[in-house]
Amino acid sequence: MSALTFTLKTRPDQRVDMSPLVCHSLEKLELTDIAALKLQCGKRKVRVDELFTISGYDNKHIIIKNSFAKLDYIGKDLDGGMIYVEGDAGAYCGMGMKKGAIKVFGNAGIYAGCEMKKGQLEIEGNVGDFLGGALAGNKMGLKGGLILVKGNAGDRVGDHLRRGTILIEGSAGDYCGSRMIAGTIAVMGYTGKFLGHGMRRGTILLWNEPKLSASFNDCGSHTLAFLPMLFNSFSQLHSPFANNENAFNRVQRYAGDMSEIGRGEILVRIVN
Amino acid sequence: MLIKLTGGTVYDPASGIDGKQQDIYVQDGKIIDKPIGDFLVDKEYDLKGKVVMSGAIDMHTHIGGGKGNIARTLLPEDHRQDPVASNDVCRSGCGHAMPSTFVTGYRYAEMGYTAGFEPALLPINARQAHMEMGDIPILDKGGYVMLGSDDYLLRMLTAKKDQKAINDYVAWTMHSAKAIGVKVVNPGGINAFKFNQRKLDLDEQNSHYGVTPREILRVLATAVKELGIAKPLHVHGCNLGVPGNMDTTLDTIQGIGGLPMHLTHIQFHSYGTEGDFKFSSGAARIAEAVNKNKNITIDVGQILFGQTVTASGDNMRQHANNKFASPNKWVTMDIECDAGCGVVPFKYKDKNFVNALQWAIGLETFLLVKDPWRIFLTTDHPNGAPFTSYPHLIRLLMDRTFRNDVLSTIHPEAQKMTTLASIEREYTLQEIAIMTRAGAAKLIGLQNRGGLSAGNWADITIYTDNVDRQKMFEKPDYVFKDGEVVVIDGKVVHTKWGTTHIVKPDYDKSIEKDLKVYFDKYLTMKIDNFRISDNEFTEDGRGSLTVHDLKAVA
Repeated sequence: MSALTFTLKTRPDQRVDMSPLVCHSLEKLELTDIAALKLQCGKRKVRVDELFTISGYDNKHIIIKNSFAKLDYIGKDLDGGMIYVEGDAGAYCGMGMKKGAIKVFGNAGIYAGCEMKKGQLEIEGNVGDFLGGALAGNKMGLKGGLILVKGNAGDRVGDHLRRGTILIEGSAGDYCGSRMIAGTIAVMGYTGKFLGHGMRRGTILLWNEPKLSASFNDCGSHTLAFLPMLFNSFSQLHSPFANNENAFNRVQRYAGDMSEIGRGEILVRIVN
Repeated sequence: MLIKLTGGTVYDPASGIDGKQQDIYVQDGKIIDKPIGDFLVDKEYDLKGKVVMSGAIDMHTHIGGGKGNIARTLLPEDHRQDPVASNDVCRSGCGHAMPSTFVTGYRYAEMGYTAGFEPALLPINARQAHMEMGDIPILDKGGYVMLGSDDYLLRMLTAKKDQKAINDYVAWTMHSAKAIGVKVVNPGGINAFKFNQRKLDLDEQNSHYGVTPREILRVLATAVKELGIAKPLHVHGCNLGVPGNMDTTLDTIQGIGGLPMHLTHIQFHSYGTEGDFKFSSGAARIAEAVNKNKNITIDVGQILFGQTVTASGDNMRQHANNKFASPNKWVTMDIECDAGCGVVPFKYKDKNFVNALQWAIGLETFLLVKDPWRIFLTTDHPNGAPFTSYPHLIRLLMDRTFRNDVLSTIHPEAQKMTTLASIEREYTLQEIAIMTRAGAAKLIGLQNRGGLSAGNWADITIYTDNVDRQKMFEKPDYVFKDGEVVVIDGKVVHTKWGTTHIVKPDYDKSIEKDLKVYFDKYLTMKIDNFRISDNEFTEDGRGSLTVHDLKAVA
């Protein structure tokens, strides 16, 4: 079967709202109908075929070719199916996803995977701020599913994270895990300032020693039996997270944020 | 330009016309008698079979003042879910529970409303409130200045100043803040909250000033009467939302001793403590007291199910309700030691016993109070529901079958606790016109508004009669504001600017001497900056002030 492919003809000056082009919305549409759909581009509405050449027919698999950083809301509220983004994705990639998977081969902008409910978002490059976070003013970020970033992430990773997992192979910026309610963030690289700022519960798993705020308490070193199980759950991923050599079960545990309810934990690998 | 509205069925309670077919002539923004002799009609509207009423007046709606902006800031999701695009006539905006100013004006006009009154004009924030209302297109507006928890008044009461001095202070504040009425919110309670009191009954003393809410109500109601202000004291009583507060409300009615008093959003003040959940309806007893005491007027503050946000000056009660916030975020704050503010988002649910019974209590109140001239249709926007739900509310009042259908879907225990199913009354079109037009204009003391006889400003709404009253009131055929068509078929086609209604009661200028000392010592602004000048309304070329007459004082 050939995937439904949208190839960007030229890069528009204004940002484009790509939210209509998700698998479940295109299910019952003919190619001509899809071509006639309108996308918001800046203050104009433009036809899909004005921006893209369309080929293929399998609307359970969508490919966006020549994608660039102004294509926003790719895979918004996706409810099943696969979207491949060849190039960069704009802001709000995979926002509110319910089911299915999105793979971005380039970088993604701010608010990638924000308020996602389930499914999988994989980003080969770097991502902007508020990865898996909550929209401004909202109280819950990622509620389930998995986000894997191969590059680095910006500030405020997992802001208001509620459930689910965020894995970052590179480094994360400042305020990683800020205001976390629950859930898991794992960072193989380094983390910035104010790690876990205002976190209530949840786990931040680190390979390198972080700079910690005064409101986190050192709880000593532990051997945790759940860590091998956690790493085992990553075994199907195409990622160093699936590699046994990177797994560990011996950690230094810090509890916080004590200026909140303090039930969160930061676990830092102890190198033997 | 002479406009003729031909053959409509007119409901104009202000001149006692109840569904009579007659023509209306409009010239230069006003309604006139049929010209004598030969005349040319510039534009004629054929309204045969249509219902003609004057423009509706919302006498209690939170459309200006700091709390609105706090609510907007607190709830960006409310805006994200309801964006409004601009078009050739209207500007863009957003918002469902607390819409942007422009959208507020458009949506009110699209329901046939031509005026709205902000009931909580904090003196120290009055400038911002007027500026904000100045950005609401089409509607006329005005405000009731909030007193009763301000330190200056409480100091006066502690010092046993005489009524004359208090009258001067009230009149001076109305002048300075440009108000048409006086409101009191949880009398003294907002202030008591700052001295760590978490409740204040009618006869409980403020722990610092030693003043009771009953005294505050008495002096303010007296001041309003003696100054000749038409709008009775607007009272948001003690113990809002507390089960058993019905007794406080009855006591308040008795305690005012026959002075004119308006009890606002009375639904929130009509709760008993009977039944398994210790929460019951006090609507019957409240309605009985209202029916008996002709000095009392009320508006209901009906709740309707769905997401909204409650914004009130009553920081004491808002703080107490913070755990019900949905979504879970809220604000309570002091306003410059002068008043308070609490914003708590709320989601009223029909499957929640308390919410379901609140809904029924509001409707019971509407249906049990006999005199439509003394009860007003409000949801206390946005506290009970956004104002856009008025057509739905009108249908609930006018259509018993529909009402009982909705009743049968709410929480079953709440159904058992209400007498709503047995109430047969259905509001008539004339009664709706009284509640939302003539009665409101009379209550506030608006001259030449709320009626369709010659001399009135031509604020006119034309509906197509429809047994589905919600559909009818949602989408008027035409709305005229000051003689100009602003809405056709429920869509804004033209915008203009309304006026701001105020009164200017007399006062003794010498009180400013003491006030200046107080301002210099305690407040963040100087007394000269506190006073809002007329220019501030008119200098942008679109606002205006309309000063209404005072009542002759016996």
